[in-house]
Amino acid sequence: MLHLLKIDLKKMTSYRTFWVVCGLYFFTLGMTTASGMEFLKWLVRMGASFGTEINITRIPFYHFPDVWQNITYVSGFFKAILAFMVVISITNEFTYRTVRQNIIDGLSRKQFIISKVLTNILLSLMSMLMVFVIALVTGLVYSPTIVFTDLVMDLEFFGAYFLEVFAFLSFALLLGMVIQRSGLTIVILVLSQMIEAIIRANVDDYVPWLIPYFPMESISNLIPLPFPRYVFREIQDYVSITSVLVVAGWTFVFNYLAYLKLKKSDI
Amino acid sequence: MNPVLKIENLTKNFGRLCAVNNMNLQVGAGQVFGMLGPNGSGKTTTLGMLMNVVNPTSGSFKWFGEEATHHTRKKIGAVLEHPIFYPYLTGQKNLELTAMIKGANEAQIADVLRLVELSDRKDDKYRTYSLGMKQRLAIASALLNDPQVLILDEPTNGLDPMGIAEIRELIKKIASDGRTIILASHLLDEVQKVCTHFAVLKKGNMVYSGPVEDVSKGAETVEVKADVDLTDALSSFQGSSSVLRENGYFEVTLTDGVKSKDLNRFLFEKGIIASHLVTKKKSLEKQFLEILAESK
Ligand SMILES: Nc1ncnc2c1ncn2[C@@H]1O[C@H](COP(=O)(O)OP(=O)(O)O)[C@@H](O)[C@H]1O
Ligand SMILES: [Mg+2]
Repeated sequence: MLHLLKIDLKKMTSYRTFWVVCGLYFFTLGMTTASGMEFLKWLVRMGASFGTEINITRIPFYHFPDVWQNITYVSGFFKAILAFMVVISITNEFTYRTVRQNIIDGLSRKQFIISKVLTNILLSLMSMLMVFVIALVTGLVYSPTIVFTDLVMDLEFFGAYFLEVFAFLSFALLLGMVIQRSGLTIVILVLSQMIEAIIRANVDDYVPWLIPYFPMESISNLIPLPFPRYVFREIQDYVSITSVLVVAGWTFVFNYLAYLKLKKSDI
Repeated sequence: MNPVLKIENLTKNFGRLCAVNNMNLQVGAGQVFGMLGPNGSGKTTTLGMLMNVVNPTSGSFKWFGEEATHHTRKKIGAVLEHPIFYPYLTGQKNLELTAMIKGANEAQIADVLRLVELSDRKDDKYRTYSLGMKQRLAIASALLNDPQVLILDEPTNGLDPMGIAEIRELIKKIASDGRTIILASHLLDEVQKVCTHFAVLKKGNMVYSGPVEDVSKGAETVEVKADVDLTDALSSFQGSSSVLRENGYFEVTLTDGVKSKDLNRFLFEKGIIASHLVTKKKSLEKQFLEILAESK
C-alpha cells in the first residue's frame, strides 16, 4: 500500500503544477478561514462610519465549540481547487499515456487506481489537518474563556470534513478517468453541481424523499450550514449518521466505477 | 522445455474491425523473434494484448508456461509503439519511477543509462530529449529489472540513419546476452538484420512463421554478366522462372532444385564464358512480398 502511494507521489513531487495548485489551495484556504475575524472587524469599522451599530465581536464565530463547524463548513468550498489537481493528475496519465506504460511495467489496474485513491486520502487528511490547526489556533485566540469540554466537543465535524473532501476527490477521479481530458473534465466537474441541482428540482416535485441521497447534495449536507444560529434559528449542529453512510456509499461507488472503467478499457 | 511465449487462438476485434485474427504462435527462449507486417497489420495490438493493456476478444496466451499476472510483466521489458514517459520528469526520475514499479534495484539505473549512452543527459527533462534519445531511454527503462524478455515495437521508427544504426547495434548487444527479444517492425531489412525467427502479419492474420534462415532456402537468384549479349541464351535456358535485366546484369531466378552451377554449365556448353556470376540467396524482402501476395 505504502509502496503504491510512494509511486503516485513520485509522479507528483517533481511536477511544478502540483506545487502551484496545492500551494494555491492551502494558501487561499488558510487565509480565508483564519482571517474571518479581521474581515468582520473591518466590516464593523466600515459600518461604524456609516452610522450602523453592529457589535460583531459578540458573535462567537471563532469560539469553541462553534469554530469547529463554522470553519469546516467554510473550508468545504475550497475542495474544488484540490479536485482540479486530482483531475490534472489522472488526465495527465491518459494524455501522456503513462497509465499504459505503468501497466506494461507491472502495475495491475487495481494497483494503479489504489495509488490514486491513496493520494486522494492523503490530500484529504492534509486538508483536514490544516483546517484543524487553523480552527484550533483561531479558537484559542478568539474564545474569551477556554473550557476543555467545549474544546473537545463536536470534533466529529473533522471526520465529516475529511469524508466530504475525500468523496469529492473520488468523484473528480472518476470523472477524469471517464473523460480523460483535463479541460472538459473540469468543466463537467463544475457543471455537475448545477446539473444535479436541476435534476433535484424536478425530482423534488415527485419523490422529495430521494433528495438527500443525491451525491452532491449528500456531500454538501455532511456539514450543515451553521450561520443561521447567529440570527437565533435552529440549526443542525451535529453530523447525521445517515449523511455519513450515504456519502461513504457514494465514495465507494465512485472509486469502484473508476476501477471498473479502467479494467474494461483498452489503454 | 516450455516456450517463453505461447499464443493460442488470440483474437481482437475493435467493433467490426478484426485487428488480430485467431493467432497461434510460439516464441522459444533465446530467440530474436521478428513480427513483420505493414502498418495496421495488428503488431502493436498483439503486443498490447500480451502486455495486458488491450483486452483480448478471445483466445489466450501464456508467458513462461503460466497465466500472465502483473508479476509476470515485471520480468518483461516492453516499449510499445512510442516511448512513454512523464515529460516533466528527468530521464533519471522517470527510470526511478519505472524501477519502483518493477521492484528493480535503483543501482541498475546507472548501468542501463550507460548502456544506452544517456548518462550525461540523465538530469535533463524528458521533454527536451531528441527522438533517438527518447527511444534509447525507453530501451534503458525496458532493461530495468534484468528482464528475460524484451519487447520492442518499431524501435527505429522516425530515426535518422545514424540513430537507426545505433539502435540496431544496441539490440544485437542485448540479444548477445541470451535474452529473448520480440521485435515488431514494418521494415524487412530490420528483421533480416536482427532476428533469428519471424512471423508475418497481414491484416490481423499470421501468414507465415519460421526461422529467418529457412526463408532464404528455396529458389535461388543468380546474377550473370558476359562480354556477349545473353538475352537469347538465357531465354532458352530451361531452369529459370524469370529473367530480369538490372543494372547491367541479368537476374535469373532459378526454378526449384536448379543450382547456379547448372546455369554456368549451360552457358559454357553454349560457348559463353560468364565474366560475372553471383549466387544470391533469395532475399527476405522478396519472400515477404510473395507471402503477402500469396495470402490475398
Ligand atoms: N484502440 C483502437 N480502436 C480501434 N481500432 C484500433 C485501435 N487500435 C488499433 N486499431 C486498429 O487495429 C488495426 C491494427 O493496428 P496496430 O495493431 O496498431 O497495427 P500495427 O502495429 O501493425 O501497425 C489497425 O487497423 C488500427 O487502426
Ligand atoms: Mg504498431
